[in-house]
Amino acid sequence: MGILRLAHVDVRTPDLELSTAYYTEVLGLQLAERGEDTVYLKCWDEEDHHSVRLRYDPRTGLDLFSFRVEREDDLAELEQAVEQYGCQVQRVSRGEAVGQGESIRFGIPSGQTMELVHELDRPGNILGKLNPAPVPPPDLPGIAPPRLDHMLINAEEVGEAGAFFQQVLGFRMTEQVLDANGHQLGIWLERSHSPHDIAIVNGPNGALHHFAFWLDDWDHVRKAADILAFNGVQIDQGPTRHGVTRGNTIYFFDPLGIRNEVFTGGYRPDPDFPSITWTEDQFGRGLFYYENVISQRFLRFHT
Amino acid sequence: MSDRILRLQHVEVRVPDLELCTAYYTEVVGLIEVAHEEGRVFLKCWDEHEHHSVVLRQAPTYGLDHMSFKVAEAADLDYYTDRVEKAGIAVKRFAARELGPGWGEAIRFEAPSGHLVELVYGMEKVGNMLPLTNPPPRPANLVGIAPPRLDHIFIMAEDVDGTCAFFRDVLEFRLTEQILANDGHQLATWLERSHTPHDIAIVTGPNGALHHFAFWVDDWNGVREAADLLAFNGVTIDVAPTRHGVTRGYTVYFFDPVGNRNEVFTGGYWVDPDFEPITWTEEEMGRAMFYYAGQVNERFFTVHS
Repeated sequence: MGILRLAHVDVRTPDLELSTAYYTEVLGLQLAERGEDTVYLKCWDEEDHHSVRLRYDPRTGLDLFSFRVEREDDLAELEQAVEQYGCQVQRVSRGEAVGQGESIRFGIPSGQTMELVHELDRPGNILGKLNPAPVPPPDLPGIAPPRLDHMLINAEEVGEAGAFFQQVLGFRMTEQVLDANGHQLGIWLERSHSPHDIAIVNGPNGALHHFAFWLDDWDHVRKAADILAFNGVQIDQGPTRHGVTRGNTIYFFDPLGIRNEVFTGGYRPDPDFPSITWTEDQFGRGLFYYENVISQRFLRFHT
Repeated sequence: MSDRILRLQHVEVRVPDLELCTAYYTEVVGLIEVAHEEGRVFLKCWDEHEHHSVVLRQAPTYGLDHMSFKVAEAADLDYYTDRVEKAGIAVKRFAARELGPGWGEAIRFEAPSGHLVELVYGMEKVGNMLPLTNPPPRPANLVGIAPPRLDHIFIMAEDVDGTCAFFRDVLEFRLTEQILANDGHQLATWLERSHTPHDIAIVTGPNGALHHFAFWVDDWNGVREAADLLAFNGVTIDVAPTRHGVTRGYTVYFFDPVGNRNEVFTGGYWVDPDFEPITWTEEEMGRAMFYYAGQVNERFFTVHS
């Protein structure tokens, strides 16, 4: 009951053609629909209409991120909880947003716009439901991740932003990084029994740090690195392993500077999972377990 | 509102040679012995927080004693007692620790296929093998395959449709995949609560039979390493590393020293609760089970415990 998982991330790009070429040919997403100044993309295994929306705008950045709820009733319940917390909630009717039914939108304490939605148009994945092959066709271009996995946002007050997600939206904290004074520098939150659906690290309000796609295993992460390097994409970090989440990862930038990640691994937390704490002196290992460094670019650069 | 049934918590299996099986499950599979009592040994995987996920019970015959699923809240035991009793099936209730060390409060009942099913809440938490502050991604000095956790169970039933309906209608499992015979009845079904391709699967066969239980490994390379370890230790491999059509998972099947089938499994996909089930037709059953070979060896369907 309640929130299930990340549904889609909507970002702005000053060069819609270039971004579309990158996300379809290098990342290997499927083109779901084109509008006048928008492009809707999905991963090959996703059943829903889209998981990434690109919109033309002179400035790069995040429009909003959207989580799917399990039942239609969850929208009204969560709308009430969000309003009680003091956020203004906007109802978006069916037909106002492409590929989905009614949704609610609100500004979260760290300034980003969040959406909750239940009904998503469902064209299905590319395999179908009758004797489907376990793999997509071998000629899919690019990295071709099966699905969107999680996102990371910045907040000036990580503790406050995290409390909102936990107390109002029912997220559960899997891991946190504490500074020497006990302040949260970063927290990882889940609804989908994975190490994280969203994470929040210290930084400017409203900023997007990255969004990440799932890959099946470490070997696929290596292939992704090969594809990125071949295409001249700027790699930010990796392939490597996180201490936090235990995941295997590479970070890289889309042509307009939005950080992307491909991610695999992790663990399966029950709702009563005891949270893990990283101390500030081990933050380097928490971020990048092999390098054990705190990359300033990784911490300071965002969109 | 509660998440109800979360996932498979443990399996208890009968073994005629407790010492031999304990050695196999701890040294070859690489589980951790948590406790033992007269005639029973309690084992867990390294990343599991609860007291045990596999119980070995000394018995003259091999096979499944029972399977247990974890529920999210204590009240879920009342909720399912009511539902199971309404289905005309008797439910027995047990206090915490009554059924063994580390055991939670539990209810037990018999599925239409004759299997003893348990739902449990409040298992003793013994922690995984990592600290909760600055943990490394895996412990050192693991032996054997050392899977991080138990994944799913596969049972047999004379009436797959009826047993599947019980798990769906009464216990609220969700169907992800099915193999349909040409006359429309279900030859096999896969069901989930944990947003994975399956927590339990049911295939046509004798009531009460265990086909296998499976441990998770991280990736295909982990499946290969498991096969190396199994072969090195002289374990009988039933199906060498391959891929399933159903679940898309990677797998190797093998037998414990007394003949209970084990699996290590990885891969698959994430499912929302309203996932539209996948159907395999009878002609494609070979690919459904083993995607590369396209056929199923006779032993896979006829040998069980």
